[in-house]
Amino acid sequence: MKKIFFSGLLGLIFIYGFTTIQATDNCDKKTLTNSCKKKMEPFKYDSQKFTKIMYQKKAQQLEIEVPVFIGEKYRLVFNTSSLPKPVMVNVYTKDKESKKREAIYSSKDLKAGENEMVFDVPRVRKLYIDYDVPADSTSQKLSGCVVMMVGYK
Amino acid sequence: MLVNKKSFVRNSAMLLTAGMLFASCGNETPKDENVTAEDSTATETATVEVEDVSYSLPSPLQIASIFKKSGLKYKDGITSTLKDPSKYTTNLSKALNLGVYSADLSYTVLNKQNQEAMNYMKLCRQMADNLGMGSVFEQGNLSKRFEKNIGNEDSLAYIIAELQMVTDMYLDENDQQQVTSIVFAGAWIESMYVGSKVYEKGKDKSLNNKLAEQMTILGSIVNALKAQEKKDPAIGGLIADLQSVKAIYDELPSVKNRTEADDEADKEMTLTDEEVSTLTTKIEEIRTKFING
Repeated sequence: MKKIFFSGLLGLIFIYGFTTIQATDNCDKKTLTNSCKKKMEPFKYDSQKFTKIMYQKKAQQLEIEVPVFIGEKYRLVFNTSSLPKPVMVNVYTKDKESKKREAIYSSKDLKAGENEMVFDVPRVRKLYIDYDVPADSTSQKLSGCVVMMVGYK
Repeated sequence: MLVNKKSFVRNSAMLLTAGMLFASCGNETPKDENVTAEDSTATETATVEVEDVSYSLPSPLQIASIFKKSGLKYKDGITSTLKDPSKYTTNLSKALNLGVYSADLSYTVLNKQNQEAMNYMKLCRQMADNLGMGSVFEQGNLSKRFEKNIGNEDSLAYIIAELQMVTDMYLDENDQQQVTSIVFAGAWIESMYVGSKVYEKGKDKSLNNKLAEQMTILGSIVNALKAQEKKDPAIGGLIADLQSVKAIYDELPSVKNRTEADDEADKEMTLTDEEVSTLTTKIEEIRTKFING
C-alpha cells in the first residue's frame, strides 16, 4: 500500500517538475549573443535587444524602434532559436500605426527550422522591427526570447 | 510506531500536495469564470511585462564615428574634466557620467589621442566598478587588449564595440536595461556638446547637418527612458531635462519649416548659426548638471 502511495507521489512530483520546466524559457543570452556576433562580421557591433516572448491566447505584435543615420551602412542579425514556436520577423520603414509603411524584410520565406537571419539594411531614416507572435491555446505558458543585434560600418 | 509512520507519510503527502498546489497557483493568472472572454484576455495581458513598443538605442561609439566622418576635428580641452568617480553617489549620476566618459573615450580614440583615451578608459572602468559592473572589463581581457593596442585606432574601436556588447549583455542579464538608456543619454549629451563646441570654431556645414540629424533620435531616447521609468523613479528628472532640449529644438524655425516631403527626400537639415547657438546653450546647461552630479 505504502509502495503504491509513494509511486503515486513520485509520479505527481515528476509531472509537476516537467510542467515547470516547460513553463520556463531557454534564453541563453551569452550563446545567442556569440552566435549573432559571428554573423555580424565585418560590421561593428552597435547594440542588441533581447525581447522576451510570452505566448498568449491571442496573437501579439511587438515592435522595436531602431534609429539609423544617413550615410551609415547597417546590418541586423536575429536569432529565434530559443523560441518554442516560430515568430515572424518583419522590418518596416515606419511604425505600426502608419498606413504608409513599407516592409523591407520578412522572415516568412525562411525554410522550416531556420532561426538565424541576417539583413543588410538599405538607405532608410528609421527601422521598425515587428515580431508577430502566434497565439497559443495550450495551457503550457510557453515563453522564450528573440535577440536582435545591430551592427554598422 | 506504525501509526506514527502512517501519520508521517500522510502529513508529508498533504504538505507536498498543498505545496504543489500553492506553487501552481503562484504561476497561474487568476481566473474568474464569470468574466467575458475579452475581460479574460485583458487580465492576461496585464500580467505580462512586455511593452508593445520598445527602443534600441545606438552606441556612443557610433555617434562619435558619425561625427568623425562628418569632419569633426579634435579640440583640446572640451571633453569632461577627469574627476574622482566616488564623487557620484546616486546610480543615476554614476550611469550618466559613465555615458559622458564613454563618449569622451570614443572621441579621443577616433582622434588618436592616446594618453587621453587611456585616462578615459580607466575612468570608465572605475565608474563601472561603482555601478557594480566592473567585471565586464575583465571579459576577453578587454582592459589589457586596450592597453596593448593603444595607437591603433581601428583595433581600439573594435575593442570598445566589444566592451559595449558585454556591457549590454551584463545589464540585460541583470535586468538593468534602464542603465543602458541612462548611459546613452549621458553619452549623447556629451557628444552633442563636443560636436557643437567644435562647430562654433569651424562652422562646418557637414557637422551642422549631423548635429541636426542627431536631434531626430532624442524622441527615441526619451521614449526608451519612459519605458524604464518604473525601475528607477529618478529617471523622471532626466526625462524632463531631455524634453527641455527637445522643446527648444522643435521651436527652431528651420525645424518648424521642414516639410514631410523634405523627410521623404532625405534632405539634410541645416540649422542657422543662431539656432545652433541656442541649442548649444541648452545642451551645455544639461551637461553641466550631469557632470556636477
